[in-house]
Parts: sequence; C-alpha cells; structure tokens
Amino acid sequence: MSKRIWNHPEVPADETTISWRSAGQLEDTAEFREWLEREFPQGAAQLENEGEMETSRRSFLKLMGASSALAGLGLASCRRPESYIVPYTKAPEWVIPGKATYYASAMPRSGGATPLVVTTFEGRPTKVAPNNLHPDASGTDAFAQASVLDLYSTSRSRRFLRTGKPADRAAFQEALAAVAKNKGAKPGFVFGTDDSPTRARLIKDLAAKYPAAKFYQYEPLEGEASKALGDGVALVADFAKADRILSLDCDFTELDPQGPVKPFFARRKPEGADYDQSADPDSMNRLYVVESLYSLTGGMADHRLRVSPSALVQVAAQFAAELGAPGAASGAVSDASHLEWIKTAAADLKASAGKCLVLAGSRQPAAVQHLALAINKALGNIGEGKPLRAVKKDVSGLGTLADLKGDIEGAALDTLFLLTPANPVYDAPADMAFADALAKVPVSIHLGQRTDATAHAATWHVPAAHYLESWGDTRTCNGALTVVQPMILPLYPDCVSETELLLALLSEEGALINGEGEDGAASPAYDAVRATFSEIAGGNDEAKWKAYLRDGFAADTTYPSAEAGSTTATADIAAALAAAASPTKDRLDVIFATDASVYDGRWIDNPWLQEAPDPISKITWDNAALIAPKTAKELGIYDKVIETEQVTKALGFIPVEGKFAAVGPDGEGENRKQPVIEVTVNGKKLEIPVIVAFGLAENTIVIPLGYGQGFDKDDELGRGYKNETHVGLVGVNAGFDAYPLRTSATLYFATGATVKTTAKKYHIAVTQEHHSMYGRALAREISTIDSDDHKGDFKEQFANVAKQGMDSHAPPNVYLYEPKGSATWHPDKDGKAPDLISDPLHQWAMAIDLSACTGCTACLIACQAENNIPIVGKEQVAMGREMHWIRMDRYFASQKDNTFDADNPALVPQPVACVQCESAPCETVCPVNATVHTEDGLNAMAYNRCIGTRYCANNCPYKARRFNFFDYNKRNPLIKHNLYRGPLGKKAVGDAEHLQKNPNVTVRMRGVMEKCTYCVQRLKDSVIRQKRGQKQEVLAAGKPSPQVEVTEKTLRIPVDSVKVACQEACAAGAITFGNKLDGDKSSMMRAKDSKRNYDLLQYIGTRPRTSYLARVKNPNPDMPDAPFVGKATIHMV
Amino acid sequence: MANIFPRWTNLLPLKIAVGAVTVAAGVALAFTYYATPKTLRVGYQPSQPIPFSHKIHVDQLGLDCRYCHSFVEVSGHSNVPTGNTCWNCHQHVQKDSPKLAPLHREMDPNYPGYDGKPIEWVRIHKAPDYVYFNHSAHVNRGVSCQTCHGDIHKMETVYQAEPHSMGWCLDCHRAPEKNLRPLEEVFNFYYDAEKYVATHGKELGVETTKDLGLKLKEQFDVKPKTSCATCHH
Repeated sequence: MSKRIWNHPEVPADETTISWRSAGQLEDTAEFREWLEREFPQGAAQLENEGEMETSRRSFLKLMGASSALAGLGLASCRRPESYIVPYTKAPEWVIPGKATYYASAMPRSGGATPLVVTTFEGRPTKVAPNNLHPDASGTDAFAQASVLDLYSTSRSRRFLRTGKPADRAAFQEALAAVAKNKGAKPGFVFGTDDSPTRARLIKDLAAKYPAAKFYQYEPLEGEASKALGDGVALVADFAKADRILSLDCDFTELDPQGPVKPFFARRKPEGADYDQSADPDSMNRLYVVESLYSLTGGMADHRLRVSPSALVQVAAQFAAELGAPGAASGAVSDASHLEWIKTAAADLKASAGKCLVLAGSRQPAAVQHLALAINKALGNIGEGKPLRAVKKDVSGLGTLADLKGDIEGAALDTLFLLTPANPVYDAPADMAFADALAKVPVSIHLGQRTDATAHAATWHVPAAHYLESWGDTRTCNGALTVVQPMILPLYPDCVSETELLLALLSEEGALINGEGEDGAASPAYDAVRATFSEIAGGNDEAKWKAYLRDGFAADTTYPSAEAGSTTATADIAAALAAAASPTKDRLDVIFATDASVYDGRWIDNPWLQEAPDPISKITWDNAALIAPKTAKELGIYDKVIETEQVTKALGFIPVEGKFAAVGPDGEGENRKQPVIEVTVNGKKLEIPVIVAFGLAENTIVIPLGYGQGFDKDDELGRGYKNETHVGLVGVNAGFDAYPLRTSATLYFATGATVKTTAKKYHIAVTQEHHSMYGRALAREISTIDSDDHKGDFKEQFANVAKQGMDSHAPPNVYLYEPKGSATWHPDKDGKAPDLISDPLHQWAMAIDLSACTGCTACLIACQAENNIPIVGKEQVAMGREMHWIRMDRYFASQKDNTFDADNPALVPQPVACVQCESAPCETVCPVNATVHTEDGLNAMAYNRCIGTRYCANNCPYKARRFNFFDYNKRNPLIKHNLYRGPLGKKAVGDAEHLQKNPNVTVRMRGVMEKCTYCVQRLKDSVIRQKRGQKQEVLAAGKPSPQVEVTEKTLRIPVDSVKVACQEACAAGAITFGNKLDGDKSSMMRAKDSKRNYDLLQYIGTRPRTSYLARVKNPNPDMPDAPFVGKATIHMV
Repeated sequence: MANIFPRWTNLLPLKIAVGAVTVAAGVALAFTYYATPKTLRVGYQPSQPIPFSHKIHVDQLGLDCRYCHSFVEVSGHSNVPTGNTCWNCHQHVQKDSPKLAPLHREMDPNYPGYDGKPIEWVRIHKAPDYVYFNHSAHVNRGVSCQTCHGDIHKMETVYQAEPHSMGWCLDCHRAPEKNLRPLEEVFNFYYDAEKYVATHGKELGVETTKDLGLKLKEQFDVKPKTSCATCHH
C-alpha cells in the first residue's frame, strides 16, 4: 500500500484499438499488473533479493552508526587536501580552459560517412553531433553517438600481438620493413567497404610498387547490390523527390541507409519540416513496406505487408510484372489478399512514376536487387532530378572474400593485410572456413581496435587508432569529400591508423610513423590527406585547406554520375522464383538479422550500445531468437515464453523455483528467464533463447548477428572459457553466435530450419515493461483519410487530436507563467508581478513529433554521452535499474476488426523523458527541496541535496526519474556481483572511461535521484554567452556602461540557437526545443501551435513543458488494409 | 547495611547531566562556528612553488588581471597563466632570481635541471565539484574580481579573502546592487564607488552609492537567479 494508484479513466467501449507493449501485457498476466503499479520493480526497491552479499537496512544502519562514531575519533586528520592547478607550459592555439572546442570530422562507414562536429574539452573528445553544414548531413544514429566511447574503451587493443601473444613494436617494425623493402612481395589488402579517396590513391601507389599486390573488400553485412548495379556503382536516394516509396525489406531509416534520410522525415510532417506551412496531407510521402522482420522503417510504414524472406522475391517479381519491368512475369504471388495489396500499391507507384522510389534491402539476394533496379528503371526513377541517382564510387575492381580465399589457396599471396573493420575469422560464412584459409598465408597482419578472433588468428595484430585519433578522409553517400580529423593523439602510443600503415609500406625503409612525426611534426597521414585534397579540390592553398578543415568537407565535391546496371538477370530471377517456397513450421526460414546494438558484432564491447534496448524487441545485453506468436503457438513454445519464472528465496537465499515458490516476482525482473530452443539449419545447430515478437512473418525465425564472441567462467549456460580474450568485460558472455549457421549461399536468410525445445532457460534483460506508464491516449495517431468510422476526414481528425482519450472532458490546466494581461496574471499591491517564478527572457519547452520519430534510440545514447549517464550491467537492467533518462516506449496496436492481417500490428514509438511539469508532482513531495522549479521553467535536480528518499519517483506519473541504486561510476557494474561487494568490490570501471565525461555535468553518486533537465548545462552556457554580449555592446557604443541600455535583445538568446543533445542527434527532426517567449519565430512554438499537439496525461493537470505531436499515417484509401491504418492511439490501462 | 554510595553522589547525576549538556552545547556552538567556510576557508594561504607577488605585479607594476588570467571574460574558468606567459617577461627580467628556478626548469632548455614540466600551483579557491561557477557571467555584468577575491593587489601571497559558501553567494544573488560596478571598473582594484558617484553622479542621476548600485542593476537588467540549477547541474 505504498502508493496511491491513480484511477485513470475507462477506455470508451467503442474503442477499436488494442494496444500493448509486451506479450505479458497482451496476455494481461498478473505479473505485468504488479509491474505496472510499482514505481520501480520489486527487486529494485528492496534489499532482499540482492545476491549473496546482501545487507539488510537495519544492519546497514548499525554499521553506519559504528563507522561514523569511529570517524569522529579521527577528526584530527581532517585537513583540507591540497589540490593543484597545472597550466599548460605552452598554450595551445584555440584551447580555452573550461570551454569546449568544436571540430568538424566524420565517422567513416560503409554506405557513406556520417559528418560530425566533435566537442572537445582541453583536447579530449567527449561528444559527437551531426555537422549540419554538410550537404549530406542527416543526424547521427546510435552507432555514431556511441563511437566516442570506443576511444576510451577498457577493452581497446593497445599492444602489438604476435600470434595472439604480446609482442614488441620493434619486431613488428622489422616484419613490416621486410615487406616494404621487397618490391617482389605478393601482398594482399582487405579493406572495409567505406570509401576513402586517400585510400583509393594509395591503392594505385601500392599497385605500382608491388606488381603482384591484390586488393579486396569485405564486410559481413554487405549484400549483392553491386551484382545488379555494376562494380563500384551505387544508387543514392533523394527522399525529397519521392512521393511514394516502396521498401522491399529495406530498413533505410536505420540499419540500411540509402541516402540522407532527413528529407524523408520532413515529408512525414504535414506542416513541413519546420512547421511553417498549414497542414497539408498531400505534401506527405507514402511508404509501403514489404518485410519479414519488424524494422523501424516498417514501423513508419503507411502500409506494411509481412512475408517470409523466401517469398520476398515473389513479391518483388509481382511488383515488377505489375509495373511493366522487363524480365518479370505475373503470377509469382498467389495469395489473393497479398495480390490485391501489391496491385493497388503498384498502381499508386505507377501514378507517381518518376517521383517514387523502390528500395531493395542491401542484404537481399541478387534477384531482388535486379528486380528493384528494373522497376526503378521502368518507372523512370533514376537520373538527374529524379529520386535516384547512380554514382560511381572511388574504388572499384576490388576482390571479394571468396576471391581472397582462392588467391590464398593458389599461393598468390605471401603477406595479407586485414584492414577491414570486420572480423572475418568470426563473421565470414561458415562454409568458407576462413580461419583455415588465413592460417595458410605466410604472414598476416591484422589492424583492429579490438583483440577479436581475427586479431588472435593473424600472425600480427596491430592496435588501430580510433577515427577521432587519426588523419583520413572519406566520402558521404553522395560523395562529398569529407575530412577525418584527429582530436587527440592516439591514447596509447602504439595505435596506428590504416593510412599510416599503408604509408609505411610505401616508404623506402618501411618505418612505421604513427600519431605524430619526429619533433612534433604531423603524422605522415596528414600530408597524404592534404595531397588527396589538393588533387580533388584543385589546388592546395592554405585558405582552401583551412576552409576544408573548418567546414569538414570540400564544397561541390560529389561522386560522378554513372550508369546503373545494364544486365537483366532473367535467368537468375527465374531460378530464385523457382526456389522460393513458403516456409512451414517444419521448414522454417531463418533471418540472420543486422543487430541494432552491435551491428555485425563490431560494437560488442561498447557498453552504451549493449545497454540501449533494441528498438523493437527491447532486449539489452543479449540477442535472442524472435518468433511470431502464431508460429510460437504452433511450435508449442508460446506458453513457455509467456509464463514467467516463479522464483522466490527461502530463508532469503535458497532459491525455490516452480510451484513451490511462494511469491511470484515481477514478470520481467531479475528472474525473467526465457526458454532455450535449438535451431538447426544448414546442418548446424544453435541453442538460443527465444522470445515472442509481433509483426514478424509466420514460420520465420529472426536471429540477430554479432553476439556470442567470448565466454568466461561467469557464463550462465556454462559455455566458458571460450575465446574470453576476444572480448572485453562488456562483450563477454553476451548472447549467442549465429554466424556458424550462415553460409555463402544463405548470407541473409536460410530456409529449411527446424526447431526443438530444450530444458534450458536463460536470463534475458528486457526493458519493455520497465517504468511502464499507464493512462489514456498516451501516443496518438490520426490518418489522412476518412476510413468510415466516427473519426471523420483528415481535417476533423487533425482538429480533434487534443480531444482524444478523455481530454475533451478535462478542464483546461492553469498556466502559472502567463505574462501580464492574461487571465492568470496576479499582480501584487503595486501592480507588479510577484517575481517568484517568472523569467521574462527564457521559458524553455520542447515538442516531440511522433510522426517523424522512428524510435531508433539515437537520442537515448546522445543523452547518455552528454549527461554522464552510467551503464548498470545486465543484472541491474533486469531489475529495472537502467539509468537512461530517455525511455523509448514502443507500443504495438492492432484493430479488433482487422480482417486483412490481424497479426500485423502497428508499431508506435514514443520517447519519454522528464516532461518538466509546471505543476510537478515530484516537487511537492521532496522533503529536502532537492527537486525544485527554476525561473525558466525547468524542473531542476540538485543532486548534492538529494538524500534518496525516492518519493519523487514514486509520485511521477510519467515514470521519468531514475535512481542510483549503486555507485555505478566507481564500482564496476560489469563484474558479476561486484556492486554488492561494497568497499571490497573492484573500483575501476576502466583506466580511461572517465575521460569521456562531460565536465559540465555532475557525475552522480549512489543514492541520488536523477532525470532529464533539458540539458540545463547547455542552456546556462548559452544564456551566459549571450550575456557577455553586453560588454561588446558597451564597447561598440563608446559610452560609459551605465549609459548604455541593456534590452531583452541583448540578453535573450537568438531564436532556436541552443540545441539539446537529443534534438541535435535526431536525424528525423522529431524533437524541437526552444524558448516559448520567442513565439512563433521558434520552430518549437510553431510545432506546439499545430493542432496535432497534445500534452501527455493532460487530464491529471501537470502542465508538462514537453508536448507531443500526434503521428499521422498517410494510407492509400484503395488499399485493402487502409481501414485499419492510422488508428493506433495507445491506451494503457 | 552500610551505604555503598557516599552522600555526595546524590547530586552526581544532575552534575553529569549539566556537564553533558554544557559540553554538547559547546561542541555544537564550536562546530557551527568553526566548521563553516568562514573559518575553515577564509585565510587559507598556502605557499606556492614560486612566491609570486600580486602586490608587485598589480600594485607596483600595474599589470591588468587579464594579462595573465586571459580568458576570464570568455570562459567559466579563469585560467592560471601558462609557463610562456611568465616567460614572456622573465626571460629578460629578474632572470637570475633564485625564486624563479621552477619557471626556468619549465621553460629554459639551457637551464640545468630543465624538465619542461608545468608548475603545480596550489589551488586556493575551490568550488566543490557540483558547483558550476562561471567567471565570464560575472565579470561581464559588473561584478569585480575584488568582490570575491578581495584585495589581491595588496597580497604578497594570495589567501582566500571571502568564504565562498553558498550562503555568501546567495547574499549577493539576492541583492546584487551592493556589489555592482560600471563595466569599465570591473578590473580596477582602486575603484571607489563614492568617488565614482562624485564624478559621474550627475549624468547618471544618482546621489549615493546605494542609488548607483540600484541604477546599475536596473540599467544592466541584472536579475541573478537563486534557483538550484543556476549553479548545480
């Protein structure tokens, strides 16, 4: 009875939408109920369940009493510790102690670099943000945001290895020099699939120096697009020009980028990207998605069709036939409802010929690539001024991994340089037996940031410099030449960049110079990058070069246009169609999915990404097989997945499981265990836990790749010790490795899999029910068409957003901040406003547009980087103690009467952080005034004042507060049970991770409540910067300062000039933030002025400063599933 | 049965009680007086690796604060000068002074014992980690160095002149008019508000120093905040 439970209003009887977060909720299990009603999960708030080293509150008090009494005796030694100020010896240019310096750089990656602006404090990079000057700027995703942590990673490789053993640099130098001096050597080079002009230039030099040199390109998740398009040719999408988009399993908004995605989201907002037009549904694009697993792009879709991966080629062929693409015959799809769906969608595409886009997932097999290309050509979508542009990349003619294997076997190589960011020993197709092939090369040299499987298998491992430590250049998707600048010298002196290694090879003596040259000269890579720049930009004068470094890109550089694929692969397509067979429950399809946390496995040691919940499944720290509910029922595993483990502890420490358990713990608490199934495919077996996922194709298992790289003694299933040196503390014991199931012929999906249940169970930390809010109309959705229910047409639905749920009956909330003249203006005796809460210059507020938000969690990681949010480890996440200030809610919703496909629910993401209530329930219950309101409308947290009663979190209807149950920053949470060892636990979280911390934000200690405060440090900084302008104005006026008037203009920051971390990172522009007093000059206020704007839980009267904009779906009224689209308004009761 | 306790013990409990109360009250009083920044911090005057005299440099030679603390107007942190700032002058001036040995070790490659390592100055004014004080926000808005750091220009060895406690900060945030100066006078250690009123009072329409403070507060639109997030975030 610890908490008063708010009685949310009933959902009206005519509501047709059913919404849920998790299978547990859909089934309405008792465990979920309990979870919902608690502020924190059961285990989180109590000390009883906390592992072996538990301490009761009472004995804790006893101990504390004794220790403080003892401490009193020692007061004599209580002297102020001496601390020192150590200034620079020679002041570096541009560095102002205490101020951030910003540099343009870029993160090179396959499919086009991400242009960045990097924040550095006294030379220490702490945060990345998109470079919005860049023509291809399109926000940053979670990987880019988290990449800065890799620089400081504890598990980062920092020494040379020789056959897996530490070696010294001199020995490697010798080996390298031997190759450099021998022009008859037969070196092979394996690069990543990112594009770098300097690398392209050096490849030519290497080919000239070593006539026998061979060059390859490899990353495990690269698909077969080049087979259709031609070698070195890529298609780049311009979403601004696309009225209709058909995605054939292409997650272009997230894991499979096809071009700058910002314009796509701009056209998801009926009011325009900046909310400066009147709402026009015709300005919106329409997205059709055909896919097998639920991707975030699928979540954005106006119409989504789920088909098994082996049937996708049939859908593509049917589309091709409908759209008159050559080489495709009709009749590939036989299912009548699917056929109708495809025909109607195809008609819509045809009507927008030349203004539509057909995108095939880049991992789809060649047949689908050919079909997509043929459709685009038939529709006239490719060319100048069209949505698609074919470009020629810098490098072509590079071999594949299969070519490499052939060359190794033919003894065409004597030295192999593995420079790819991939980990081929681990991630190459299983039938290739790459490890055996690698062993046949006389000398192999691996360059990498992690000591992964390949590092151990190669003759030499060279620790790689991070991209923030090295000079380089790269290309964005459209080919803008973009510089990669170092922010800092390599943290560890032996770290080498790829360019430096290649340059050493190209030099006469083969001397390896990394980091900086002699006497502080720049790295040789600097000269190489500059030479490339001068070649491309035509000239190398200082001003041009400086502009390049300042802006981060060379203006007007782009890839040359090319001709996309002339071959029609009629035979290939026919063969693929003939092979396509629908999966059954005895012959399942398996998708080897790209993982949103570890990508292909390269991010396995990044704790931010590991702890960020998967956007769809909400799993942290592991992967699991995903399976649709119906298939799970057919396979007889549904009940096992849904049922939660009954575990209790007799006498406080003996675990009792099953029916003898007296207390049913939380459905998703530390005891959540998932049944392990055995998947057999391609003749290989994999044991992996399974969870139920919605909206998947039937008879399809989705297994994310990249996990299971190493295990030690703490592994739950007893798989250790195995490859434990390949990963760090973060990645060890994480997940299950699906690469061994994957063969060259089944790179993306395999067919004919069988599933067997096992008796094993495995703990999975899932956050989907954590901090569950409940209430009416949390996330709201409208549609642009009138689907013959009482909701009316677009205009009516648009006007009624704020009345959804029971908000039409709720009285308007009183606004405490109204200026003079308004109804709530209460002057005092002298006619002046009481100046208690009102700042006349700044009143901060935020709007979040659900129409653009995909739920990708980039904001969550940006927030983590900006605000020094710790990670807590799998054990703690399972107890609901994750610290992320932004909770990315992901709801599913389906219509009761959905006759088209009832098992294909809509997906609605909703990021919720503290909404900064003006009438905040948390503030009134804090006994020590640690959470109070500021004059400018923030609900502030004074961490140093908080005593950790947690009353505030208990009273927060948005569940936006997080509590530091442990000192996560000082006790390493990744070592099993370490947090419970108190002072005996291992302290260091790493030797460098503290260097990432933002110096302007307090690092919170144990027992302190924390939450979003709108990046108050940025707000304060911007306001102070503005205030400094007063001095400049006085100087300019040339009058004594008391005679120069200071106005609002002097002191108020320019409109929209401060960005908060989440807003900055968001590629979709879903978050707008600004000063309410700027009126409609601020895009945030224009967003709030839209009729789509509504307050979360408006009816309880908290007056939140963050408001949401309803999601708009733009269905095609002729589509068979149109009546069920655009109604996913979420009620949680 | 004989009395075990002699008669004088009758009053013992009372005496102990009175004694204990007195001691407890004394301890409490002593704690509230001594364990505050006013006594713990004010007057902290550690010796520095180089006995740098602000008196000589500021009072006698007339150096501006910003010659050495060059970023105080633009950064939250007021920087301590880098080695080459000192070396600008001291490679020519007083170069044989034994007091400057640490500077030579840092800057002079010909000096025996040269190591190029920066001088470790002992920190005197320290705000706790959870306090974000911003120098630029104050010196650009009429709060002088002198207000918080005292008569630095007269100090041979710098000591902490003001408590820098939260209460002390709030005193000024609540009534900034007591400390505001015209922006031109912020770095002037010889500023005298009365003299300023005497010379400029007429054109500003002020007669007393109090009026001047209020006038400046209004003219500059100074409204210091007192909510927690102003300094704690």
